[in-house]
Amino acid sequence: MEDHAEKIVKAGLELGAQDVVAEIVTDRSYQVRFAQNQPVIANEWRKSIGQVFLAYDRRVVVGQVTDFSKIRETVGKLVKVAKVSQENPEYAGLAKGPFKYSRANLDRKVLALTDGSDYVEAAINGALEEGAKECAGSFWRYHTEHFLHTSNGAEGHDVRARLYLSIRALVSLESSGHGVSCASRRSQFEPESAGHKAGRIAVLAKNPNSGKEGKYDIVFDPLIFGSLVDQVGGRSSAYFVQAGFSPFLKKLGKKVASEAVTIWDDGAADTIGARRFDDEGVPTKRKAIVQNGVLKTYLHNTSTAKKFKTKTTGNAGLIAPHPHALLVKPGDWTRDELFGEVKDGLWLTNTWYTRYQSFVSGDFSTIPRDGIFRIRNGEIVETWKDIRLTDNLIELWKRVEGLSKKTEQVTWWGEVGVPTIAPYALIRKVGITRSAM
Amino acid sequence: MSDPDLVDYAVEYAQSKGAAYAEARYEHQVEESFTLKNGVLDALGLTEDAGIGVRVLANGSLGFAATNFLTKGEIKAVVDSALRSAKGAKRKDPIVFAPEPAVVSNWSVPESRKLANVPVEDKVEEVQHIDRELVDLNYKMPARFFALNTIRITKYFANSEGSKIRSYSPRVRFWYFLTLMKDSDVEQCYRNYGWAGGWEALKEWRTLDKTLEEARTAWNALDHGTKSPEGRMDLVAGPQVAGIASHESCGHPTEADRVLGREASQAGKSFISPESVGMKVGSPVVNVVDDPTVEHAIAFYLYDDEGVRARRRYLYKDGIVNEFLQNRETAAVLGTKSNGAARATNYDREAIVRMANTFVEPKDWSVEEMIEDVKHGIYMKSFMEWNIDDKRYNGKYVGREAYLIENGEVKGPVRKTVVELTTPAFWSAVDAVGKDLEFEAGWCGKSDPGQPLDAAMGGPTIRLRNVSLR
Repeated sequence: MEDHAEKIVKAGLELGAQDVVAEIVTDRSYQVRFAQNQPVIANEWRKSIGQVFLAYDRRVVVGQVTDFSKIRETVGKLVKVAKVSQENPEYAGLAKGPFKYSRANLDRKVLALTDGSDYVEAAINGALEEGAKECAGSFWRYHTEHFLHTSNGAEGHDVRARLYLSIRALVSLESSGHGVSCASRRSQFEPESAGHKAGRIAVLAKNPNSGKEGKYDIVFDPLIFGSLVDQVGGRSSAYFVQAGFSPFLKKLGKKVASEAVTIWDDGAADTIGARRFDDEGVPTKRKAIVQNGVLKTYLHNTSTAKKFKTKTTGNAGLIAPHPHALLVKPGDWTRDELFGEVKDGLWLTNTWYTRYQSFVSGDFSTIPRDGIFRIRNGEIVETWKDIRLTDNLIELWKRVEGLSKKTEQVTWWGEVGVPTIAPYALIRKVGITRSAM
Repeated sequence: MSDPDLVDYAVEYAQSKGAAYAEARYEHQVEESFTLKNGVLDALGLTEDAGIGVRVLANGSLGFAATNFLTKGEIKAVVDSALRSAKGAKRKDPIVFAPEPAVVSNWSVPESRKLANVPVEDKVEEVQHIDRELVDLNYKMPARFFALNTIRITKYFANSEGSKIRSYSPRVRFWYFLTLMKDSDVEQCYRNYGWAGGWEALKEWRTLDKTLEEARTAWNALDHGTKSPEGRMDLVAGPQVAGIASHESCGHPTEADRVLGREASQAGKSFISPESVGMKVGSPVVNVVDDPTVEHAIAFYLYDDEGVRARRRYLYKDGIVNEFLQNRETAAVLGTKSNGAARATNYDREAIVRMANTFVEPKDWSVEEMIEDVKHGIYMKSFMEWNIDDKRYNGKYVGREAYLIENGEVKGPVRKTVVELTTPAFWSAVDAVGKDLEFEAGWCGKSDPGQPLDAAMGGPTIRLRNVSLR
């Protein structure tokens, strides 16, 4: 496969392109989906795709090779299209290699795993032991191999093997909890704990009452806090800022969160989002997106960096930069201390469907799901349902009061798309609305 | 071996290895796309993808495996893999499929102007022309974003019951997202067009006129918009709003796999239970249907990805829950027949229950007739922010283009009208349904791994009486 990447680059250059990137991705992932306490289907993939990026006189084309016996023919088509395309004046070339990469953190026991049913059973049993009645979710063994070759001297190889389990436990339709476990090593994988957490929340969430509108001090569980972090990470892409999909336009160097908040992007950290290099071959590294509440950088590839008169942050996306893994600097609170600070508020455990009225202003809403708990003087006094968090993203982040020392790695379908290390968080005066009957 | 031969081979080999049921689906997708951001063509995208997915039922369990290596040896390997997964599953309740007749068919979507014959330069120019005209309006627009995508999908499906179905679906999508600012005040707007067919789509859509009109209304809102009034009043909701409400609060809650809990962990469950057929959720004038056979709607198909004939489904009929969207697995559990709702995004995904083209069935009111009978209310033509909970009961749609109605007349623009209602509160308030049916395309999200899928949503203008707005 390494040969294929090299052949694609060679063909592109011979056919007239000045810049070429080829990344061959081989996918051997395996998944078990489960619902109603039993597996519903197992999926396996055996795929290899060559992703191609090339520039001809700053005319940029992206494509892919799937039949590796036709590399020259496929690349030829792409070059032909590039020649009739238009110049992209913002295209600024590729990062100059060669680069040295850190050692891959690979657990071969993850690669060797061919059956996830014991993990699924452990997670379900964990939830049922807590008193849940119905469990659904998925187990993943991600396994992809990446060969990267660029015309500017970068050559990289990476094997990414990870374990992930997501479980939702229900006592009834309106009493549910969610748990996840993410691990890059088998020894760190805890599906049973995820099941217990989901089950515990579901049981606590029994017999919910309709919530009431207002402003509340809220303790965010790591899973839902990860969703808010994901909004910051994703919308700090320079491309999104340019395209109008971000509240961070003209906010560099300005306060976008409380001083308690530092958010890093770090593709080199030990998370299930770890990767040795970005899509230009630049080694991944830690950088603060937000430091002590101040927006420090957008995420860049070589072209967006030039547009913003800075250097690439190692976050290519060849068209749109993106975060690899997000880490929130832990605070110095315990979870109990955060709860103790809440005189009259809520504990939220999960959310979905985050949508904006205006990305630029940051006005948005999201719908808490799974356990929603009323807190008085630090104690759970009631379970709620049917509320919506309606606020402004930047103003919300400015009201972060405290973060826990303890963090969890979370990622979840749709909402926490980028693996995130998140603490518990206390945010003051958060807007809550609800639907009229 | 040719690609269709490999599909047939996969089915035969799976049967020979003990599959109670087997199906294989070859898909070949040729896609051209580009984005135009603030007048700059970022990149042209030209992708071609082909592969085969195999699903088997063995020992009462399902296994699925997919490959893009189109050789006999590889097909054998994925069948073995799917069978191993199915046979090794520790499942208590065996999965069965509702019976269906074998079908042999070859269907395709007509293209008046074939997508393959349209030079990419013409496609780019079509969008750049709109962008230039927008710039000429001289509004402050810090961001203008367009995406155009054409895709040609060729499929061959075969199963162990004798079905062999070939199909060809060309599709076009056009999407824009505009940011307008006046001082520090901002309006953002988008529109999503979709078409099953050829390049004639662009003429049908009248994208230039409509995009310019959208920008003018957004600027008018910045210039003259006032805060939307709060309280109980009438709401006249345009086709875009009727469409999103149909999709979110009628289509999703009637997906049988959601009702049965198969999607509980991700896309969620439903306020509708298996026993809810016959339950009242709307007024007697509300008919919401899902119909894959609407010509040129983006989710057009004649047979689904399980080989079942497509037909119109009345989800809510006369305000009553009438029918669920079914595939063969859910139909067997609920003791009924599939109504052809199984779809997958590509060869490498299992087919699950999906909406196609979901809309409020039109009646005979004109928009003028609806408005002239409103003393105090809001005419909301489009929305920006929207969401709904995972049981599909608590929805929210926030107005983008909206106007005050007083004594039967449309007045000035109002901003950010919030329609935050439960599903029964929304549909029970409908007292008039228009005849101006329009569709918009959407990406419908579901499943794990995610399957963002073409869907159309639409309706005519509808009127809701005495609802709580803010």
